[in-house]
Amino acid sequence: MTGTPVPVGRPALTRRRALTAALAAGASVLGAGALSGCGSAPAADESTVRLWDPFSGADGGLFDDMARTARPDMPGTRIERTVLEWGTPYYTKLAMASAGGRGPDVAIAHMSRLAGYAPTGLVDPWDLDLLAEFGVRQGDYADAVWSRTRYKDATYAVPLDTHPFIVFFHPEPVKKAGLLTKDGTLDADAFSSPKRFLAASRELAKASGRQGIAFGYANDTAQGWRLFYGLYRQTGGAFTLPPGGPAEVDPDRMAEVIAFMAELVGDRANPKRLDYPAGIASFTNRQTAMILSGEWELGTFRAADKDVGAAPMPTVFGTPAVYADSHSFVLPHRDHPDEEHRRRTHRTVAALLKAGQIWAGAGHIPAYGPITRTRAYAGLLPQAHYKSAQDHVVLDPSVWFAGAGSDFQNAMSQVLQQALLNGLSPDRAARAMVRRLDTFLAKPSPA
Amino acid sequence: MSSPLARPRALAVRRLFSPGLLFALPFLALFAVFMLWPLGQGLWMSVTDASLSAHAPSFIGADNFTEAFKDAEMWRALGHTVWFTAISTVPLVVVALGMALLVHTGLPGQWVWRLAFFAPYLLPVGVVGLLWLWLYQPDLGLYNHLLDKLGLGRLAWLSDESVAMWAIALTTLWWTVGFNFLLYLAALQSIPDPLYEAAAIDGAGAWRRLWSITLPQLSRITLVITVLQILASLKVFDQVYLLTKGGPNNSTRPVVEYVYDVGFTGYRLGYASAISYIFFALVVLASAVQFAVLRRREK
Repeated sequence: MTGTPVPVGRPALTRRRALTAALAAGASVLGAGALSGCGSAPAADESTVRLWDPFSGADGGLFDDMARTARPDMPGTRIERTVLEWGTPYYTKLAMASAGGRGPDVAIAHMSRLAGYAPTGLVDPWDLDLLAEFGVRQGDYADAVWSRTRYKDATYAVPLDTHPFIVFFHPEPVKKAGLLTKDGTLDADAFSSPKRFLAASRELAKASGRQGIAFGYANDTAQGWRLFYGLYRQTGGAFTLPPGGPAEVDPDRMAEVIAFMAELVGDRANPKRLDYPAGIASFTNRQTAMILSGEWELGTFRAADKDVGAAPMPTVFGTPAVYADSHSFVLPHRDHPDEEHRRRTHRTVAALLKAGQIWAGAGHIPAYGPITRTRAYAGLLPQAHYKSAQDHVVLDPSVWFAGAGSDFQNAMSQVLQQALLNGLSPDRAARAMVRRLDTFLAKPSPA
Repeated sequence: MSSPLARPRALAVRRLFSPGLLFALPFLALFAVFMLWPLGQGLWMSVTDASLSAHAPSFIGADNFTEAFKDAEMWRALGHTVWFTAISTVPLVVVALGMALLVHTGLPGQWVWRLAFFAPYLLPVGVVGLLWLWLYQPDLGLYNHLLDKLGLGRLAWLSDESVAMWAIALTTLWWTVGFNFLLYLAALQSIPDPLYEAAAIDGAGAWRRLWSITLPQLSRITLVITVLQILASLKVFDQVYLLTKGGPNNSTRPVVEYVYDVGFTGYRLGYASAISYIFFALVVLASAVQFAVLRRREK
């Protein structure tokens, strides 16, 4: 409060918003269909599995459908969802509830946050034997995804999906520019070096009669970092972050990537200074032929162009790598977990994974292999066209301060923005990023 | 004067507690539970590595404080807080005085003016935030529309580093100036009329009366308002959080938000407590200076 010697305005907004979000949007009891309030005390009712997730909007609806579809696989179990607003506070709430041992039975968390969660004791490991009993095994997952679930020889996350950062395009201008292969997929060769990528963007601008490739990043807390880190990992450069520092990275290669990004958004063929919503709008209004975006925007893009195409992020710097994250299930810590209830929770998660075909409708790649191997999934377009992205996914560095919604992503995106928007030279931007990395590494972990 | 406690069976109690203390007990109890205990708890946390995790905190001495003093981001956030205090306090005092003088000189429709000047102050910060987010919208906000009409360039009110803090100060001015305005109005109404009558007899004009009587008579309340305003501005958090989330590029992040970010985003509660205490020391220092000045004037 400012300007007030007496507290008059009530700073209860965020609390109230959280409550509204939790009560109005969430707290729907699936399974029974009745509505009940959400207490955060351990479930009073044996048969209820309480779940926290950040899926609102279309994702939220699909998640409900998925839970309904999963019902036969978990007889006698009700899922009680609490939907909390997605963003940094989501993890704060989850951490606070878990630290006090009053968290839900199971929660959705981004896998990239696991490095900050598992060592702090906020989440409990999954019982792999139990999961296997319900038909979920390590072999059902892509190695690139599964390897991130581990901490000290235990599995702390069960991935629901991977959501990579990819390219979407309008088929006609891309075809006109001669950048489609015979089977209607994107010709990745035409994008396989910085020079070629830029040339392709000019071709696309010509073919569309407007502009080539959109990328919305201005004032965004993550977009710059998502594109940079995926491309940097394509260079094969090291990105090792030992506790205490200094960061073991390759500033020359970082500068090379930053230079490419700056050229791309600075090229006459492409729109400049786009923020996230403006990027989306420029693509849906067909001002641009292509957009670099997270696949979670599929619903929006398809509404604007039912034939919208997609492809994994092309390999621009030699080594295939696609930036991604993964929604995964975690078990908030309990001092004395109830065996029977834990078993029920494992069963519920397995049932949800098997209903993953529905989740694919949101654009996310279901992480559970048996889903993506079905003919039904192969028939989902454009999803099937970027499924291969999950074989080369790179998630955020595995350190406590990184991950979705972290201050770290924001700090990196801010430096990148100075290079892309305000003319900071690529090598100076790279050095500034390394300095910030070292600052983060110098801080003691909260674990 | 016999207090209701002066009954035989209360004598023992009376020796222990004066009636005044008894009356103050409920307040003191609440004060202890909700202020003193958390204060102590926070101070203890600031010398531990307490975090939002399942691990028990351990004592680490002054480590958090040495880290904070070396933390460029903390100094930057402190700087933003001080800067905001500087650019918000001056207009919040001057504009309030101007409004009060205007109303006091007897504009027609007194109650309308009073209501109009004071009304925004009654709004909760959430409403203020939403309202001004719309006003500042780059494409469809009222302000850029006005700038267009005037033939001036549009402003990126909340996303340009050189403008954002000014925009927040402007919002704060509109929202809270009403309180200071009321204090001034009350002070104006308590200036004795004979002073003005005497001045009028001596042939002083309106300006003369303003400069020689009104403003000197208001000097004490000005000092009080300034003190309260500085303390209030130092605590800025909510309107910044709602309007810019501390951006762009952390250029408007006040120290209170930095504490929030470190503690609740980075989970480092101990370190966040240490920064809170450094800030607390700054506020205490500011208050001490002001009280010293106040007391000097009293003499």
